Amino acid sequence: MIRASSLRKIGWAAMLLTCTALYLALHLKVNSVKSDVRLSERRIVALEKQNMLLETEFETRSNQRQLAAWNDVDFGYHAPRADQFLEGERQLAQFGTPREAGAPAPITVASAAMPEDQKSSFSALVPPLASRAVAAEIPKGEAPRPRRGDILSARLERRPAERVTIEGAHEGGK
Amino acid sequence: MNALTISTAISSGRVELVNVRQRSLFTARFRVLWVAGIFALVALVALLRIAWLGVVQPGPQQTSLADALLPPRGEIVDRNGVPLARAFPAYALWYDPNALGDGGSPLVKSPAEVARELVKIFPDMNETELRERLASRKAGYLRRRVLPEEANEVHAIGELALELPQETGRQYPQGSMAAHVLGFVAADGHGRVGMEAALDKRLLDPLQRGKPAMLSLDARVQGALEDELRRGMLSVDAKGAAGVVLDAYTGEVLALASLPEFDPNKIDARGEKNMFNRVTNQVYELGSTFKPLAFASAIDNGVITNLAHRYPAKPLHISGFTIHDDEDLGTSLNIPEALIHSSNIVTAQIADELGGKALQRTLAALGMDERPSIELPARGMPIWQKGDWSRLRTMTIAYGHGLAVTPLHLASAYAALVNGGIWRPATLLKVAPGHAAKGRRVFKASTSARMNQLLRMVAIYGTGRKADAPGFRVGGKTGSAEKPGNGGYRHHALISTFAAAFPMDHPRYVVVAMLDEPKGTVASSFQRTAAWNAAPIVGRLVPRIGPMLGVMPDDSRDIDISDLKPLIADDPVEKADEAKDRGETGSGDEAKAGGGR
Repeated sequence: MIRASSLRKIGWAAMLLTCTALYLALHLKVNSVKSDVRLSERRIVALEKQNMLLETEFETRSNQRQLAAWNDVDFGYHAPRADQFLEGERQLAQFGTPREAGAPAPITVASAAMPEDQKSSFSALVPPLASRAVAAEIPKGEAPRPRRGDILSARLERRPAERVTIEGAHEGGK
Repeated sequence: MNALTISTAISSGRVELVNVRQRSLFTARFRVLWVAGIFALVALVALLRIAWLGVVQPGPQQTSLADALLPPRGEIVDRNGVPLARAFPAYALWYDPNALGDGGSPLVKSPAEVARELVKIFPDMNETELRERLASRKAGYLRRRVLPEEANEVHAIGELALELPQETGRQYPQGSMAAHVLGFVAADGHGRVGMEAALDKRLLDPLQRGKPAMLSLDARVQGALEDELRRGMLSVDAKGAAGVVLDAYTGEVLALASLPEFDPNKIDARGEKNMFNRVTNQVYELGSTFKPLAFASAIDNGVITNLAHRYPAKPLHISGFTIHDDEDLGTSLNIPEALIHSSNIVTAQIADELGGKALQRTLAALGMDERPSIELPARGMPIWQKGDWSRLRTMTIAYGHGLAVTPLHLASAYAALVNGGIWRPATLLKVAPGHAAKGRRVFKASTSARMNQLLRMVAIYGTGRKADAPGFRVGGKTGSAEKPGNGGYRHHALISTFAAAFPMDHPRYVVVAMLDEPKGTVASSFQRTAAWNAAPIVGRLVPRIGPMLGVMPDDSRDIDISDLKPLIADDPVEKADEAKDRGETGSGDEAKAGGGR
């Protein structure tokens, strides 16, 4: 018959042993994760180097001298002239021709007033060098979210007051 | 134990046998114990070792990701981040005749065969030389730069003596472009010639080399400048060419080219000859491009108060020396006419009135008495006479003779001339917006505004007409100076320069193009002066770089020169222009009077 005190001793010893074993297991796990991280880092470094090699090759093959030769000989590009630039919408409007006498009236298409956040679904015009939108009318911030009920019938149902009749268009089209 | 006592008590043959058996058993057990003990010890050591490895010992020396990605030498990029120079893990081709280690033939195949195969991979290598080299059993580089795909092909030859050590090279992706600005890295790992030398410490500093060094250059502008300079240089068979594009307000150098160039990727004897920088290192007498500086100094000092004042244009005789113009420009000229026709005689008279001290003060304020202020290590000292200038020297310096400066001096001076009168040091490092050097005032803003009008008039009516790119409102001044030689000037060796700024209604960039000893060819209508060779370079360059630099061509804008135009009304060129205008639009004058030309 084992006495209670020696049973307790065995219990403590077993507990100590379990804790040590658990600690060892955890330690080994930590070390293995560390070595995984190291391997990933090594891989990142290798990929970065490869990336740089490729990038340098692209840069070398597309150097300014080569591009100038292609532009000159293969494509025959020239520097843009003054009349190829537009300063603003006013200048753009100048390209329009006045309507001739007897010409049919332009077809006007009905449009429903759109909520503010839906006004422009086109992406902003970003010049390649400025890397940000230049036109003031393009809303900044996040892209417009699609709304529930965006189809025409749903919209008409939602706002009967904003419906626009298209009688004028029929007349103009004749 | 009992057996032992029995064996002593009973002495018979049988007892002996028992004793022997006992002893053998004992020895056998003892040996087994030994072997087991050794095994246990080895197992214990192994266990301890495993425990040590798993628990106590740290992992292999951990290097951080940042350290591994830190380049051995910092990258150099242009103002938009385009890499111009970068550390590059390159392969080299090394010949090691002792690689096989048996003292026999260093190659498995014959040297001729190996040489033939190598030439197949590198067609620019000389087969005969290579064969002799392989046969000579001397270790050394066969080639410094080998591409990875070429390295694979060399491996495929299967010669152990051909080694491909990986070395950290320096790669210049743009080739010879901007070579004089960048310089190169020598075998000792330190930079030479250009910014590689100027920024050597920063590029090698472990704390800073992770971030690329950003130059003020724009790779596209640099490419266009070199392209146009090269074309101009070849078309007139010039010995060399130099060009610089400068931001008039910040002093940033957007492009700087000196031709003929060298290739920093491959330094050879021919490249070494071309290493001196014509823009910052070589000083030239830049001729008539100095006249606007003298005129501005005169306006600034109150010597010229009336631009309509007419000066006699007959040859001047000063202390045994005659100052004359290239052609007869009539009996008298006013200020705009003198500048448009580039009259030495009128410039000399104005300089005489201005006096040597005032001119000296202006030119010194423009930094022409010291080396050009730029980061490059190679900067030429101007030939500047100290002390008081004689009357004749003052006159000749006013039209660009007797004072030799670098083209960069001229560009910085023109920047001060057109930007409202502030001189700033040129820099090759990108300047953050609002952080331009403070500079010093050289001209009054009103003088600068007047000079802008006059420079524009030179490009519209005068010698700079071939530089007047439509829509870009270019203004500038030509200069063709004879090169000094043994015992006087060499009449057939010219330095043709065109110093310009654009757009003149709000000058933002200064362009200087210079040709060294251009010849009269078909391309220049058999002329050697700047109007026929340097000005057209600027005329072709500006439309290429303008839109990249944010200057859009616009035919509906220009600087208002309506107050000066009547002063050159009797000009034959002007008359022809007006006739043309009248023929085309009916009222050329009307359009110009409103300043909307």
